[in-house]
Amino acid sequence: MLGNYPPLTILIFLPLAGCLLLLPLWGRAVIARPVALGVAAAELALTGWLYSSWQSLSGVPAVLPGYLLMEDTPWIPSFGIRYTLGLDGISLLMVMLTSFIFCVALAVSWNAIRERAVLFLTLMLVMESGLMGVFLSLDLALFYLFWEIMLIPMFFLIGIWGHGRNIYSTIKFFLFTMFGSLLMLLAIISLHLLHARQSGRATFALHDLLQTQLPYDTQLWLFAAFFLAFAIKFPLFPLHTWLPDAHTDAPTAGSVVLAGLLLKTGSYGLIRFGYPLFPLAAQAFTPLFYTLALIGIFYASLIAFAQEDMKRLIAYSSIGHMGYVAIGIAAWEPVALSGSILQMANHGVTTGALFCLIGMLDERAHTRKIADFGGLWGKMPLWSFFFLIFSLTSMGVPGLNSFVGEFLILAGTIHKSPVVVVLSFIGIVLPLIYMVRLVQEVVFQKERRPLALVDLTLREVGILATLLLLDIWVGVHPAPLLDMIHLPVQLLIGGTP
Amino acid sequence: MTSGDMIALMPLLILVAGSVLCLLVGAVRPGKYLYAAATLVVLAALFWSCAVTAETDLPGLSVTLFSRLSSAFLYGTGLIALLLARSYNSRHGIVGEEYPATILFALTGMGVACAATDLLMLFLGLEAFTFAFYILVAIKRDSTKGGEAGLKYLLNGTLSAAILAMGIALVYASRGTIKLAELASGNGAPEPIFLAGGCLMLLGMAFKLSLVPAHLWTADVYQGAPTPVTALLSTASKGASLVALLLLLPIFGAWSGLHDILWMLVLLSTLAGNLAALVQKNIKRMLAWSSVGQMGYVTLALVAAPAGGTRVAAFYLVVYAAAGLAAFGAVSVLSNEEECEALEAYRGLGYRNPLPGAALAVAMFSLAGIPPAAGFMGKFAVFAAALRGGEVTLAIVGILSALVAVFFYLRVVVVLYMKPSEGPAEAVRRLDVSEMVALLVPAVAMVILGVYPQPLLELLGKILF
Repeated sequence: MLGNYPPLTILIFLPLAGCLLLLPLWGRAVIARPVALGVAAAELALTGWLYSSWQSLSGVPAVLPGYLLMEDTPWIPSFGIRYTLGLDGISLLMVMLTSFIFCVALAVSWNAIRERAVLFLTLMLVMESGLMGVFLSLDLALFYLFWEIMLIPMFFLIGIWGHGRNIYSTIKFFLFTMFGSLLMLLAIISLHLLHARQSGRATFALHDLLQTQLPYDTQLWLFAAFFLAFAIKFPLFPLHTWLPDAHTDAPTAGSVVLAGLLLKTGSYGLIRFGYPLFPLAAQAFTPLFYTLALIGIFYASLIAFAQEDMKRLIAYSSIGHMGYVAIGIAAWEPVALSGSILQMANHGVTTGALFCLIGMLDERAHTRKIADFGGLWGKMPLWSFFFLIFSLTSMGVPGLNSFVGEFLILAGTIHKSPVVVVLSFIGIVLPLIYMVRLVQEVVFQKERRPLALVDLTLREVGILATLLLLDIWVGVHPAPLLDMIHLPVQLLIGGTP
Repeated sequence: MTSGDMIALMPLLILVAGSVLCLLVGAVRPGKYLYAAATLVVLAALFWSCAVTAETDLPGLSVTLFSRLSSAFLYGTGLIALLLARSYNSRHGIVGEEYPATILFALTGMGVACAATDLLMLFLGLEAFTFAFYILVAIKRDSTKGGEAGLKYLLNGTLSAAILAMGIALVYASRGTIKLAELASGNGAPEPIFLAGGCLMLLGMAFKLSLVPAHLWTADVYQGAPTPVTALLSTASKGASLVALLLLLPIFGAWSGLHDILWMLVLLSTLAGNLAALVQKNIKRMLAWSSVGQMGYVTLALVAAPAGGTRVAAFYLVVYAAAGLAAFGAVSVLSNEEECEALEAYRGLGYRNPLPGAALAVAMFSLAGIPPAAGFMGKFAVFAAALRGGEVTLAIVGILSALVAVFFYLRVVVVLYMKPSEGPAEAVRRLDVSEMVALLVPAVAMVILGVYPQPLLELLGKILF
């Protein structure tokens, strides 16, 4: 046990403290890399400990129902902002995903980032802190603070170590996200004021604000602002245009974190804040949400089919996959919502792995154009094996993790809106088309350009094997994770009429 | 005047005596030691204002907690500007004792403005420091830009002084008193002559705060003045003017026109300032336009004054001042023999000059309102005050123009860290200790206020009504 130490605060600030360790190592990347990875591993161990003991934690009387751990102190009383953190099954899953993905991202960029490596490691750790904060905050102002803080390191990651039109992409990413967030900030403040007017207490605490009685019109406006911010992160059609640019031009670690974690903050925010706070408005938005998600699925899949650049193709496929997560949330029904939450983690693992694979290929060949490759099965059997498996996951083959999530989403949604499910079943076929084409052209076709390619190193195999293990584990035995999110999901759904 | 009054007024006496001595001694034995001496004088005044709690109420001047702490803040910014100026001036051939002496004189004026209890004293304080800036802006004699800036500031400044004086005269003609407390307690509907005077005074203050439509001097003056002067002009001068405005606003009572005038000033300033900053390629002009927008946010808090806006306006100004000092401080440190003001000249500077680069970057994030820099807390407080006051339109316009602002602030960060430097890299100058202090203090202040603003907010809540 951690004794009297607050585990959630440690979870957030451990990576930040790790940055201090890196300061004296400035310019000495050889030592700094293992230190940073060590910090990330310690964080992973901490989340692992939380996971192993979550059942013994549940039922502690001092916390709100559904929560395993909470921490709460006043922070800026003048504004009514508190430092409230809470861990329930959903945030535990997200926190586990975060600490895991950061280990992967640091390991995969071990040799790829050579310039200003220590700055890179520092920014990665800062971002890990920011993401942990997003997934653990239960005070809206605190949440917003972390939500914005995580933008800064990503802005630098894409801008400094990216390639292509990376500066254009990183500014676009930043401005898109800020646009939504700033309006959400106004909505958060308005909600705070409305609550203060009703109850006489100035607070940003989620569980107080949930009690606010809001007229339908007000709900609509406020939810619209929240929805916009989260939909941009999600990203939903037509707010997705920042994503392909940012993913393509980011360094591999950046893409892994973007796809694996940053997109999840959008869906997490909607589940944790948007829907519970504004239930009526959320219901009113459901048709729009379904429509945008479906358009996103079809549109992104068609665009993915036409891509020449492998990384861009995967970026578009991300939009499609997140469309299913969106459908599961829109249904707001226990099975579908569980599916969405599980799928958030699954997508992080799968797409993270695909971006890793493409990054590894890019390091060797210095090109990502599909037309440059072919016949990799003969030249890089290990790479091809992993690429094939993760592509199959992306297609939703049973036994691998994506299938579980998508199945639950569709199975849950079918009671609510059969039409949406039928349409999205058609959508499920589309990844099959573009992924098969991708695998066929890159792995199986005849060699098109003579490229001297070396197969994966032990480090790379280690990373991919870990990812694959998770992929299969969740694919065949998702029950422990579903158990973990069962109670919070029930409480969330029960909260809405 | 009793000895108790003397003790309370001591910071002002220290400054004015320091200023005169600086001129006298400098005439006999000029040298760089005068900067150190002036720094010590300001430090003494700052320390005295913070530590000595003596209060007094003289005709026209009264030393209160409010006046002590607000002038201490202004002396603090003056201190940093002096630290920056020492090395900058010797690099740029600005010699002579008049520089430190004028800075001390400007700070005296600000101190007087903070302690004023009637309109005449307020006018004297405001014009005393503005007068000092006429000299400081044009102090680099061989610079044509400096001369142009000085002339522009002088012409605009005298016009606004005339407007302010006319306003005071009309108010006196209508009410027969210039005492702020008596003017504020006057009840009943305000008469037209009083309102005409009040509006003229507001226009004069809008000039000092560079609010649109009285902002046209800002960009040229900021660009042409030596950068440490710009640093002071954009922070201390704005701070003192805000203090004066806070003292003035109560005289309007519940007149609804005040709200409409401020409302219009906010709308125009946030839009014009942020949009014009978007197209600037010169960092000093960009910061000048951005300060127009930033003053718009300060005023936005004042529009919502009944809902706790004055405290928020003061908080925002402190946060803005830290960012302004860090940003102009970085520009002035990076200006070797030539002014380093073209944005393109900053390519890759973040790596070659880590401290000024980082200070500039933090200032940009703070001005853009992105946490954990303090600017976020400032924006948060301003928008909360605006929404509490029911100013939804202004809040939405303000937040969208803040989004526009994010773009041009980020562009500086992009140039600093993401664009490789072109051509052979200049040898990097080693920074003085004084320059390091002048950069570190505001940068650290921005981070601390961004993470834990509570003590400052409580303090402001105590000294403001």
